[in-house]
Amino acid sequence: MTWIHVYLLAMGALVTAGLSVVSITVGLGIGILVCAASLAKAAPLRWVARVYVSFFRGVPLLVLLLLIYHLLPQIGIDVPGVVAALVGLTLCTSAYQAETLRGGFVNIAPGLVEAGRMVGLSGAQLLVRIRAPIALRLTLPALVNEAIMILKASSLVSVVGVGDITRTAQNLSSSTYRPIEMFACAGVFYLVLNFVVARGGNGLGRLLGLPRA
Amino acid sequence: MTDFDALWEALPEIVDGLGLTIFMWLAGSLLSPVLGLGVAWARRFGPGWVDRPLWAYVEVIRGTPFLVQMFLLYYGGPFIGLDLDPTTAGLLGLTVYGAAYFSEILRGGLIAVPKGHVEAALCVGLDRGQIIRRILLPEMTLLVLPASVNMFVVLLKETAVLSIITVPELTMAVTGFGSANFAFTQSALVLAICYWSLTEITGRVGRGLERRLDRFRIA
Amino acid sequence: MSGEIAITMRNLGKRYGAHEVLRGIDLDVRHGEVTCLIGPSGSGKSTLLRCVAFLEEHDSGIIRIGGAALGFDEGADGARVRLPVGEIARVRRNIGMVFQQFNLWPHMTALGNVAEGLRQVLRLPKREARERAMAHLGRVGLAEKADAYPSQLSGGQQQRVAIARALAMDPKIMLFDEPTSSLDPELTGEVLTVMRDLAAEGMTMLVVTHEIGFAAHVAQHVVFLDQARIALEGRAGEVFRKPWHPRLSQFLETYLDRGASVLLGG
Ligand SMILES: Nc1ncnc2c1ncn2[C@@H]1O[C@H](COP(=O)(O)OP(=O)(O)O)[C@@H](O)[C@H]1O
Ligand SMILES: [Mg+2]
Repeated sequence: MTWIHVYLLAMGALVTAGLSVVSITVGLGIGILVCAASLAKAAPLRWVARVYVSFFRGVPLLVLLLLIYHLLPQIGIDVPGVVAALVGLTLCTSAYQAETLRGGFVNIAPGLVEAGRMVGLSGAQLLVRIRAPIALRLTLPALVNEAIMILKASSLVSVVGVGDITRTAQNLSSSTYRPIEMFACAGVFYLVLNFVVARGGNGLGRLLGLPRA
Repeated sequence: MTDFDALWEALPEIVDGLGLTIFMWLAGSLLSPVLGLGVAWARRFGPGWVDRPLWAYVEVIRGTPFLVQMFLLYYGGPFIGLDLDPTTAGLLGLTVYGAAYFSEILRGGLIAVPKGHVEAALCVGLDRGQIIRRILLPEMTLLVLPASVNMFVVLLKETAVLSIITVPELTMAVTGFGSANFAFTQSALVLAICYWSLTEITGRVGRGLERRLDRFRIA
Repeated sequence: MSGEIAITMRNLGKRYGAHEVLRGIDLDVRHGEVTCLIGPSGSGKSTLLRCVAFLEEHDSGIIRIGGAALGFDEGADGARVRLPVGEIARVRRNIGMVFQQFNLWPHMTALGNVAEGLRQVLRLPKREARERAMAHLGRVGLAEKADAYPSQLSGGQQQRVAIARALAMDPKIMLFDEPTSSLDPELTGEVLTVMRDLAAEGMTMLVVTHEIGFAAHVAQHVVFLDQARIALEGRAGEVFRKPWHPRLSQFLETYLDRGASVLLGG
């Protein structure tokens, strides 16, 4: 194991981090929409949201990636592995985040919203000023957890040829015949990335004045 | 020959794959809580020095991808005299992986059993073993049920990863059939539906069980 | 039997780290009497009770239950020796305890809670345990709730089941730690009634309570604990009729609006 290997794995770590950041962010956007649908008055919307969440949480990410990687070309969209990877990760995490956010909204103490109503806030104001911030405070730890889950799950993108940490470690392991060092080092990179995310989550929590975990 | 004829012909293999998936899942779901309970118990009641290594085990497993762990075990194992066939390695890996998560779930459950319930048992005169068997374990089980069902679903989905180290489970069987017949999409769809059904059923059974156990919960 | 000493504490001491929670407690609890322990929050009442149940281990002094040392005894050379587990369990068998938080086991029915000790500790056959448990549930007026789980009972009912559970083991002494403090006011009555009946039957009781009315009317003996020490003790009538002790009158004043004014007025 030499520095060049560490360097290559670090490059892979950048890919892993990039994939995770993009899919978490886009996934949050979609997750908010799906969460809104799941709380909507219209039953069909709720139903669609339920199936969406159930499907993308119920199918292994690996299977999802294989499906996307092979399905999209068949309907005429030729996707590089990176895009398939991003789509798969995003769909997966959006379902988890939607469910987490929904839990946050459902668990808001009714009295807090009623107090806002008594102060005279409108429905939209209640949503923006009271319910959304409280839901975020309630769910931040779970969302950070979800970010860490996706970071780890992104290792599966190696099967569609994306050169993340795991794929790099695989390549290095077969070229050097030193799987133990390469995969252990890959593991250390994941631990470091997780640590960074967890720290970031704590910082965000402090910013929002959450009690320390 | 249409895709569906091909699918029909490959059916026995797919059924075998499904069988192995379910076997790995059930075995992993049985073994990892047992090992996890051992870890949780040792960390809570064992000698002080075991806590640090067990903490490290739990954090490393929970902090790294299952795939990397499996690569390390399957490709790295032979270098340290651990030359396992894919299925054995898969089951070992799944158990070690699940146990780390279960140890945290169960540790949380153990801590969450109100101290007063144990004190009440002491006052009635139950001995240590009776308190463990009749109070601590049942109450803990009740508390950890939702998180455990969640973990069973995670384990089911992680069995798909074992196809990468060539365990002939469902994903491997179906994708193998797919690539032989250039019917990858259909096969991936079949696969998705199989897993979706299994996870959905597990979730429903879990929620049903929770409802039935509701009367044991003091709000 | 009545009038004999059920519990003796001599120079009892307990500390948590540097914090002294009980200091030189000397107290006798007589058979057949109700002894009420009152005092401000944090004065050490629960700790004292928990020491008598050996849920906390005292650091110094000695506790005797019916003459037998609890937990620790003085050896021949006067040194403190820890008694074996079996001996601790044997002495503790004389004691039943009722907690502020009820502490019913949520996975067992009311009957299951009461029968647990009969089955597991006394090893009674199933039918006999069941019958005896039913009798005790009947005694607290809850025979018809035998098959209900704790989650299906009100707080007052849960506490009465907890009392039945303790009584089922046929203790010589019952300890109560604020048994009504986590109950809604309209539910405290049913628990106090059960306790009053128990007192009338001659049960030896050591009760921590903020129900000054109960202490005044039911207790023979009242102990006022303040800052880890016994500040005042005596016959209930004397203690309440002339609360000359400044801390006690200050303490009682906070209960004026709880009906204690009636008492103080005589
Ligand atoms: N397990 C413990 N560790 C440290 N301090 C304790 C513990 N239990 C009680 N204390 C302290 O001992 C003092 C007496 O507590 P307690 O006996 O519960 O008082 P009371 O029941 O009269 O309100 C309090 O100051 C409390 O903070
Ligand atoms: Mg107290």
